[in-house]
Parts: sequence; structure tokens; C-alpha cells
Amino acid sequence: MFEELYTIARSINNEYIIKAKEQGALCIGYTCSYFPEEILHALGIIPYRIKGLNVSSLSIADAAFGPFICSHPKCLLQHFALGDYSFLDGIIVTPGCDSMRRIDECIRKTAVNLDLPVVPPFFFHYAVPHKITEYSVKWLVEELHRFIDSVSAHFGLPFSYEKLKESIAFYNKMRKRIEELNALRMHYPARITGADAVAVYVAGLSMPRDRFYSMMESLLSEYTGTDLEDRKRVMLIGSANDDIDFIKTVEGETAVVVADTLCYGPRLEVDYVDEEDEPLHALALRYLNHSHCPRMYGGYKQRLAKVVEAIRTAQVEGVVLQNIRFCDLHGAENGLIERDLEKMGIPCLRLEREYGPLADNERMRMRIDAFLERLEVRRLVCERP
Amino acid sequence: MRKALKQYNFDWMLWRTYEAGSRLSAGTKQEYDIALRYIPNFRDPVKEVFKAKAGQLFLQMTATYLDNIVNAHQRGKKTCMTTFCFSPAILYALDIVPVTLELLTVMMTFLYKRGTGEFLDYCNEAGFTETSCSSQRGSMGALLADIGTPIDMVVTDSPGVCDTNANAFAFFAAYKDLPFFQLNMPPWLVEERVTEYHVQDYKALIGFLEEQSGKKLDVDRLREILTELQRQDELINELEQYLSYKPLPLPVTTCLFIYAGRFMFAGMPIYTQLLEMLVNEGRENVTLLKQGINISHEKSRGFFCYIDHYTHSLRLWQMLEELNIGYSGNILSHFWADSNPPVVHNNWKEAAYSIKTGTLEEMLTSISAINSRMPMIKSIRGPYDSPYMWLQDTLALASMYKADFIVYNGTPGCRNTWGMVKLLAQDTEKAGFPTHIMYADAFDDRVQSWDATRDRFEEFLRVRRLL
Amino acid sequence: MIVAGCDIGSLTTKVVLFDGKKIIASSIIKSKPKPEDGAYEALQQACAIATVNQDNIVYCVGTGYGRKRVPFANNTISEISCHTKGAFYLYPNVRTIIDIGGQDCKVISLNTHGEVDRFVTNDKCAAGTGRFLEVMAKVLKIELQELSNMAKKGNEAITLASACTVWAQADVIKYLNEGISKENIALGVCKSMAKRVGVLVNQASIKRDVCITGGVAKNSAVVKELENLLGVTIVKITNVDPQLTGALGAALFAYQKAGGK
Repeated sequence: MFEELYTIARSINNEYIIKAKEQGALCIGYTCSYFPEEILHALGIIPYRIKGLNVSSLSIADAAFGPFICSHPKCLLQHFALGDYSFLDGIIVTPGCDSMRRIDECIRKTAVNLDLPVVPPFFFHYAVPHKITEYSVKWLVEELHRFIDSVSAHFGLPFSYEKLKESIAFYNKMRKRIEELNALRMHYPARITGADAVAVYVAGLSMPRDRFYSMMESLLSEYTGTDLEDRKRVMLIGSANDDIDFIKTVEGETAVVVADTLCYGPRLEVDYVDEEDEPLHALALRYLNHSHCPRMYGGYKQRLAKVVEAIRTAQVEGVVLQNIRFCDLHGAENGLIERDLEKMGIPCLRLEREYGPLADNERMRMRIDAFLERLEVRRLVCERP
Repeated sequence: MRKALKQYNFDWMLWRTYEAGSRLSAGTKQEYDIALRYIPNFRDPVKEVFKAKAGQLFLQMTATYLDNIVNAHQRGKKTCMTTFCFSPAILYALDIVPVTLELLTVMMTFLYKRGTGEFLDYCNEAGFTETSCSSQRGSMGALLADIGTPIDMVVTDSPGVCDTNANAFAFFAAYKDLPFFQLNMPPWLVEERVTEYHVQDYKALIGFLEEQSGKKLDVDRLREILTELQRQDELINELEQYLSYKPLPLPVTTCLFIYAGRFMFAGMPIYTQLLEMLVNEGRENVTLLKQGINISHEKSRGFFCYIDHYTHSLRLWQMLEELNIGYSGNILSHFWADSNPPVVHNNWKEAAYSIKTGTLEEMLTSISAINSRMPMIKSIRGPYDSPYMWLQDTLALASMYKADFIVYNGTPGCRNTWGMVKLLAQDTEKAGFPTHIMYADAFDDRVQSWDATRDRFEEFLRVRRLL
Repeated sequence: MIVAGCDIGSLTTKVVLFDGKKIIASSIIKSKPKPEDGAYEALQQACAIATVNQDNIVYCVGTGYGRKRVPFANNTISEISCHTKGAFYLYPNVRTIIDIGGQDCKVISLNTHGEVDRFVTNDKCAAGTGRFLEVMAKVLKIELQELSNMAKKGNEAITLASACTVWAQADVIKYLNEGISKENIALGVCKSMAKRVGVLVNQASIKRDVCITGGVAKNSAVVKELENLLGVTIVKITNVDPQLTGALGAALFAYQKAGGK
């Protein structure tokens, strides 16, 4: 089961999407965790969180993006330009951050410049506010209405609030399962590696959700757990990551990532959608509040509080704060988190990394090893008479 | 940070320097010439600024701005850290002193050979990312190190427009545990719901400012400021007309004075005074068919589609004059009033703001619209090729001001422009404007030395036969 | 008992042989394209100096970037831990270590037990590493070892674009063409290096006593500039080549793991 999930997580397309599409299903990709998949699910469309893995060159992406840009959106663009996302019937671009929002014009213009039919037929810019207020939630609800009208009209699909409520209920059920998986991570001793957990999350974002739910159910009922007692318990915070190998680099043979705030996954809490509320309002509230992202300016204290709570719950020994180079949002907030956690006596490691073809795992390996050695010494110090 | 830098507050140092600089022309020419001998490091920026008749007033205005900051608390006022693309008019209406990071950075980079290097580095020491824009970091480092006037609150309007900008302010507020407010910009400009959102957001901002300052918004004061802004818009409109003339009847620093003044004192009489001086000089030169720019003849004219280069001695402006290049403005010198020449010429009223001073609601709608049309806030918020966004503005302005070429200059921290400036340059080239992308940092010579920057710029001009 | 520490770095490979009381031999060679070959050669050299057989070595710890490629290592430990161990052994009062190697720069903060408290490293950039000095020495057409003495003869340092080695190189060429003396350029290079390292040191928060390890510790001009910048005296380790600190630390760990005290 894990093998299959790893394969799905590590590849762009997969047999489930191929089969579904052969049967006439639609698939729409989105760039950012703010987008409520439930809407697509309610329309019978497969949601797909776009990934940047397995890119060996950024030659096309570098022609559109400038040099001082995070490598994650560059990898996404490279994939689009090579036609790797030709199976998508649409794309939803969210201004998660400046680099990601520029994917909009970069995809369109690259297609024109290279005369390539790589722009998905349905193209939507989904404007998510950077704060949570009554009027920003109202704005987001209006955006959802706008999206529904646009996607329904484009594909000739009728939208039903009943179906949406069912999708919300289904997603909440799926969140329950994810919560059970998270509990295995946070358990003392951890019962599943971070890499395995992330493989499940990322696979889950890349395939029909109903199928994924069945796989989750089987996985959780069959899974007997693995012995990770001696491993140092680490939390991972920072820039977007869909790369399981990065998690493996952090864990190595001696650590386990028991919790993370990364956006290709449930983050620290699954956060259910309120099924009693008006559905679009409930979705807007849940997705804005669920964010553990520094793009929500001014929310640092609340994010730190969640991190501290998770450190206590998961008995985290050390925190790895990583950011992709030029990711200013995480690059800056990691500095605050390091300051505040170190003050509380929680060891931190700040890592700046590359994503994609320039990823430099060896350089990071040395730093992670040194950090884990520090945690090892702390364990011994705690045992000192 | 070196101990020496911590001996005195950097804003106090700047204030005293600009204050002294503003008095240089108060004496005789002989006294001025002698004084210059004693300020070898400040000589060049002073000479450059004084080429304009309004130069002395500009220095005085800058000194006043700094005086307000340094003495704010003694005068019973609160300080608000903010960004250049947030109009300070509302702060003046509430008697709050704006502390604009980018302005302080430039005030220092203009004068000091070492620029703000040590403050930039201090941001790293404090845990901030070094890849962020140097315009904020240059003075933020000093404030993080507590060698500036204490800040009471932080306000930014760049969320949705510029992450790296918004992020710097959010970081500072979190680092110092200060009250923080963000105005949040949707990716579009002219839709009704966007206007509604801007107004609601702006009202929330006023609520925040009132709470933090302990003062209530005075309707008459707001009306006074908006009326003054209307007058300032009229003057800017006239100046913009002159900027399209050949030869240019205005000094090369005119656009700098227009935008720096606006960022410092929008809605305040001191800025009106500066604009009036510039207009008078322009009128005089137009009447006399005289060139305002200090060049033999204009070989070609450049439009800077983003920002200028702010390192020591106003070197960019010196260079333009040395090369006989006319300068027709940049993204910062346009504010998009409904009477503004490019707005009228292109019939872009729906994208512009109008000022109404009747009811409070009308005034709030006006001031939120003014703010949402500030440089960058207006045109960098959405995809660059969308209506009323960066490409449309750049092409319209470059045409109207008869530019022969376009230059992009920014900083490596500018994520949103580096995300698509190559695409913009492709489009501007297709539209017939040779376009040069500078890889320099407008606020930090350590990224690319001025000499290398200038070499590349001159190479571009030669290769594209613009000289 | 004899133990070994082997530090495979980007520019040099070092071996230290330790007998529990003192260093009995050491070697520093240029790193080879195949790290395993470099490790063997360095070990052979050290063994020849100590007149011991490789079989006499009971335990070896590998460190440095190539630590996993030390074929005879029983264990590997990060260079941060090894530099800390080595520096603390040589100078027990040290609380901040500045290690400037060929391709990276690390600042390590220690506690009173000689354990790593915190560390910061440069990221991704040659500026602030030995590579920066190597590149500049090449442009000046001098050997790397001559750079420090040349800098000391300078009286007015030029300013380099210190953020990027490539731009700095362009600046040096420009200055040479303008006839600026090599001494002043060398001084500017060392100052620029010190500035970049200084930023990193301040990020880690400096605690006295401060010592410097790694190859660049041999450049006294850079060390002097750093002292001026940081306002502290930097302890120079003189009893052992500072480049050997990492390998020494690895040997000390090897001794511990082999049961020595």
C-alpha cells in the first residue's frame, strides 16, 4: 500500500487519474492549499494540487521568471511548459505568495512565446485575502461564488448546494482519517515516519479523493506501525514541500518528523469544516483559519502558539525551520520562531535550501547531522546525575 | 553592529545632516563655496539637489520630516512605521507621525558612501531574511537595533501587492510586539466590489489608528488635507505636462521631488510649496524656451518603469545628465487623479480617483481610492498584462512622455517584479521601446557596484544606438 | 591505542592520529576527485610520519563533506561537532568558533562543557568562504598564501561588492586596470571577506573567547579585520595547524568511541 502511495506521490500523473479521465472525468489543478477542494468534488471534478517534482532543468522557467525567484514555482512552470500537466482541464492560481501568483502570466506567456498548447482550457485567478475579518471572509465567499459560476459555465456542469454539503461531509470524514494518521506520528514512540506520512498526504492530493479515502481506510486498518523509539523527534516548519526525499533527508536513520506545518499536508490540525453553517461561508472560514502561513500578515503570535502546543503534544525535541531560497515569508518568520523557541529552550535549526534540480541534499545533510548530534547531547545531559 | 553606530540614533543623525544641508544656500555664494570644501562626503549630493531652484526647500522639507520623527514623542504624538506606497495623508489627519522605512533608507543612501550596509546586515542578525527588499531593511535594521525613534504602531498596505514589503513590516511588528494593521489589496482595481472592499478596509484602518493614537478623526481636518491634495494634484498635472515637452523645461530631479515629497507630505502645505516652486521654474523655462535639465542637448529620453537608483550622491541623476539623457519619470511619480494627464489622455477615469470633500462617506471613499492608486499599489497588484496594470501603465506613460527607451531597476528582493519583468520587457520591446533590465540593487551597492551598473547601462545605450 | 580522524573537505583532506595523550602525526593534502583516494593518501602520509601501520589504528571517525566516503571510517560525525571538539580540546576557554573552510563558513556557539549550543552556516554563496579568497588570489595572479602579506602592505582598501564573488571579481579586474595597487586590492578583499563573516558571527551572538579554525585562519589579514569589526580579540590556535581542528575533533571522538577516556 505504501509503495503505491509513494509512486503516486512521486509522479505527476498516475493510473487513477488516467483511468478516470478515460471515463470522462475532469481534473483541475490548483497551486495553493487555500483553495477548497470540496467545491470541485461537488462538481464531480478531480482536484489536483500541482507539484514540482522530478524537474531536471529550469531552462524554460528561467526565461520567464527572473533569477531572484523561489525554485518551486519555477519547477511548476517547467512542468507546464513541457506538457507534463496536459491532463489538466483547468488551473486555479492563488496569490499564495508573489512568486506563485506570477505563475499566472508566466504560464500564459510561455505558451505564447513557445507556441505551445500548454495552457489548460479553464484558467482562474482565485483571490484569497491576507487577513481574516468579516469583510475579507465576505470577499472570499464572493470569490467562491465567482468561481462556481465560472467553472459551471465553462464545463456546463450544474452546481448543487446539496452536493456541496455531501462533499464537505465526505472531506470531514477524510480529515478524521488524516487525524488518525497524525496521531500515529505524534504518538510516543512514533508509529510512522514523517516520510511515510507525507507520502500519504501528497498522494492524497494527486488522485480521486474517493479512491484515496478507501486506501486510507485500508491503510489504517492494516497498519501495524513501526518501531521508531530511539529516533529523535523533530518538527518541520517552513516553505511548501511535496518532496518526500527532503523529509527522508531530514529524518535520515536517526530522526523522525512527528509534526509539520507544511502546506502539502494537513499541517498541525486538520480543522473540520462546520457542517451546520452555510457551506460557502463555512469553507471560507475554515480555509482562511486553517492557514499556518506567514502570508497571513500579523498572525505570527497565533501561529507560534499552535507550534508550541504541538511541540508539547508531540514531545518534539527539536525544530527544523526550513525555507526555499527567496521564500521571504518563511525565511523571515523562521527567524522569529527560532528566537522564541530557543528562548523556551527548544533547539532549532534554520536551513535555507533549494527545491528541484538545484536541491543540495548533501549540504543539508551535514547541517541536519550536526543538529541531531546536538539533540543527542541534550538527551545525555538530561540523563546526567 | 559596530559600537560606534550605537552611540546615537540614526534618524537624529540624518535630521541634523539634512537640517544643516538645508541652510547651505542661506548665505552668500562665497560662503556656500567655502562650506562645500568642508563637507567632502556630502558635497556631491548637495550640489545635485541645488541644481533645482526647489532644492533648498526639498532639503528643508526632508529635515522637517525627520524633525517630526525625532521629536514626535516629546510633542505628544504617536509614531507609525509605514511604507512609501501608503499615503500618509490619513496619518496627518490623525496627527500621527509617519516613519516611512524606504524614505529613511534613501535619505541615508544618498548621503553616506557606506549606505545602510550595517543596518542591512543587522536585519540578518535579528533573524530576518537577507533576500528581502533592501529598501525596508536599510532603515529597519537601525530600528530593530533600537537606534531610532521608538515606533508605536505599524501599518502597511502592500499585502496583495508586494509580499517582501508587507513581510518586513509584519516581521518588525512581531519582533517588537507592536500593534499591526494591513490594508489588503485584491488583484483588480476597477470593479465595484473592489472599491467596496477598499472602503471597508480603510474604515477598519481608521478605527485602528484612532484606537492606537487615542484621537478621533477630525472631519474638518480630513477635508483640509483632501483639499490640499486637490491643489497638489493640479500642480502635479501641470508638471507632468512639462515632462512631456522637448526640451525638458524642468531639472532632472523633478520627478524625485514630486514623489519623495508626496510620500513625505501628501496633503500638507509644505509639499504644495515645493510643487509651486517646481511649477514656477517650469513655467519660466517654458516661457523662455529654456532647458531645465543641465545637458547640452537631449540625445535620448528614458522612462524608468519601476524605481530609480538611490545610492550615493544621486549618481543616477548625475549620470543621466552626463550622458545627455532626458528623464521622463518612473512608476513612483504617478498618482492617477482623474484630472491627471495620462488619465485624461487615455480616458482611464474608471481607474483613477476623484476627490470629493462633501460628506464624511465621500471623503473616506476618496481617500481609500487615493491610497489604492498609490504607486505599485495600483499597478503591481494583478497580472502585469491585466487592464490598468503594469504593462498598460508603462506603455502609456513611456509614449506620453516621449521616451526612447525603458529601464527596469529594482532590487533582488522584489519578488513580484522579478516574477515577470522579463515578460514585461518582451512586451515593451515588441511595442518599440528598447528595454534595459538592471540587475543592480537600487539601495545597496554591495550587490552590484555602481561602476558595473553604469557600465552595463552605457553598453545598452551604445548597442541600441540611443546615444 | 591509536585512533584516527579523517576530515575530507572541498579543498583539502586531513588526517590526525591520536594516542590518547597527544597528536602523534597529521597530514594535509589537496582533496582528490575521488574522496576515497584522498583519504587513503592522507592516512598513508600520517602513518608514515608516525611510523605506524594502518592496522594499528583501532578506530576512525570520518568528518567533513566527504565523511561518508572515508572507506576506513568506523563512524561519521558532522564537522560542526568535530570542530567544536577539536577547538575545545586545544583551547578549553573557547565559547565561539569561527570556522572558515573552502566552501562554507560556520559559526559555532559552545557551552561550558564544550558542547554545541547553536550554530549558523553561510548558505549557498562563496562570499565569506575560502573559495572567495582563492578566486581573488587568482585574479591578482598570486598564490593564496601570499594574499595575507600583500594585504598587510595596503594602506587604503578598495571597496568590493561583497555580496557576490562574481561581481567582486569584476571589481578587482576593474581596479587592476585602473592601476590601483595590488596591496590595496588585497586589503579590500580581506576586509570584504571579514565583513561577510562578521554578519554570520553576529547572527550567532558572540561569546568570549572566540577562536578561528579552518584554512582561512592562516590568513592573518582577514583575522585582523574580523577582530576590528567584531571588537574582540580572536584567539589564534598556534600549537596545531588550524586546518586540522576538524580532523583532531574526529580523532577525539574516535578515542571516546574506542573506549578511551
